[in-house]
Amino acid sequence: MGSEAPEGLADTDLVAQLAAGSQEALAELYDRYGRLAYSVALRVLGDPGRAEDAVQEAFLRIWSHAASFDVRRGSLRTWLLTAVRNRSIDYLRGRGAHERQELELQPALAEVAPRSDPWREVSVSLERSAVREAMSNLPVEQRQAVELAYFSGYSQREIADMTSVPLSTVKGRMRLALEKLNSYLLGKGLVDV
Amino acid sequence: MSEHEELESSVAAWLLGAVEADDVEIIHAHIEGCAICRETASRLGPIVGALSLNADDVEPPARLRERILTAAAASRGTATVPAGAPSRIKDRRPPPRPKAVSTSPRGMMPMYAAAAAVVLALVVGLVAGDVIGRGAPASPPVARSSLVGHQGLAGAKASVINLRSDGVALVDFSGLPQLQSGKVYEVWLITAAGRADPAGVFVPDSNGSKVVLIATPLAGYTEMAITAEAGPAGTLAPTQQPELYGNLA
Repeated sequence: MGSEAPEGLADTDLVAQLAAGSQEALAELYDRYGRLAYSVALRVLGDPGRAEDAVQEAFLRIWSHAASFDVRRGSLRTWLLTAVRNRSIDYLRGRGAHERQELELQPALAEVAPRSDPWREVSVSLERSAVREAMSNLPVEQRQAVELAYFSGYSQREIADMTSVPLSTVKGRMRLALEKLNSYLLGKGLVDV
Repeated sequence: MSEHEELESSVAAWLLGAVEADDVEIIHAHIEGCAICRETASRLGPIVGALSLNADDVEPPARLRERILTAAAASRGTATVPAGAPSRIKDRRPPPRPKAVSTSPRGMMPMYAAAAAVVLALVVGLVAGDVIGRGAPASPPVARSSLVGHQGLAGAKASVINLRSDGVALVDFSGLPQLQSGKVYEVWLITAAGRADPAGVFVPDSNGSKVVLIATPLAGYTEMAITAEAGPAGTLAPTQQPELYGNLA
């Protein structure tokens, strides 16, 4: 059990403390990303109670799998938020919890990684604004395809049926949407190159 | 369209988790072995990770932090109380006595209720492994129930989150009146036959809220009820009719 106050630790050090069983580290993880995590779960589920359940499951997943974290595969925040999103989709679609790509993430957005909480909040706020702006600039049908997949958990085939377009069109919309988002966020300096 | 083109066209959907379950592994394997698709996935993957930032910024309930820390303590098997964690079952009591007369929890409760409050150290022994991350359970791993206040506790309520696979439950109380000096709230688990087993005591915070870990499986119990009893350890049997109670899912 780590006794050192983990506030201000880099994510990699925080993960090391989580893996060692430090509850102070878990509290710090929640203080850093709990708000983001709950926001994602609530967006997916629309139900505060179930959103709490999903967030709890995701945090406990990180807690119990911290030793497997590999910073080369993505940031701690991305890992956590992916777990929150996946748990939420499982709740939404009535699926049992299952392994997904959570441990195989690609490198995350280039986070500024400030040490103090105020700066972390500023960083998140800037990222949030950029992502929203990028999403709002997408053509409606591309944004719809991404949101139906990411926040509602629909498959590409289900989206094709719902929107009455060929499957190949849905695939193309998703690809174009991600390419445009990438280009926009790259221009904002939020993606590693 | 070649096989590569077909699979490459699904990389974005794969990153978004929108590929049909049967195709996930096929596309994954292709990406692993295809430099072009691997580059695409590597380049666009971070964008998918950023989509979560498109959710509205919402402040989570204050109790969520406590819930998570409490559940983590139980799952990891540590007896250390995390910062800000609720008081857990505090008292060590003798083994359960023979069960008493059966009555409804709304009526007079039996006088010889079993006494099986479990200390956290015992929980540790029961809760091996993680709360999640086990094999798929046969029944939903989490069941929720509600407790509703009546009479003097009409403004109180509680949400019971039963982590079935780990044999523990979290009870999130709110709206509880402050207790008289020397009193505690005591949680009772009630069987279909009407036997009330003590499951822990707690004192709410100044807002009348508390998250309590019930460190015993709820299987076999049909209702949960709360009474105010003498502190600090509570009693072996309820001394009053409960005014906050509900059925367990």
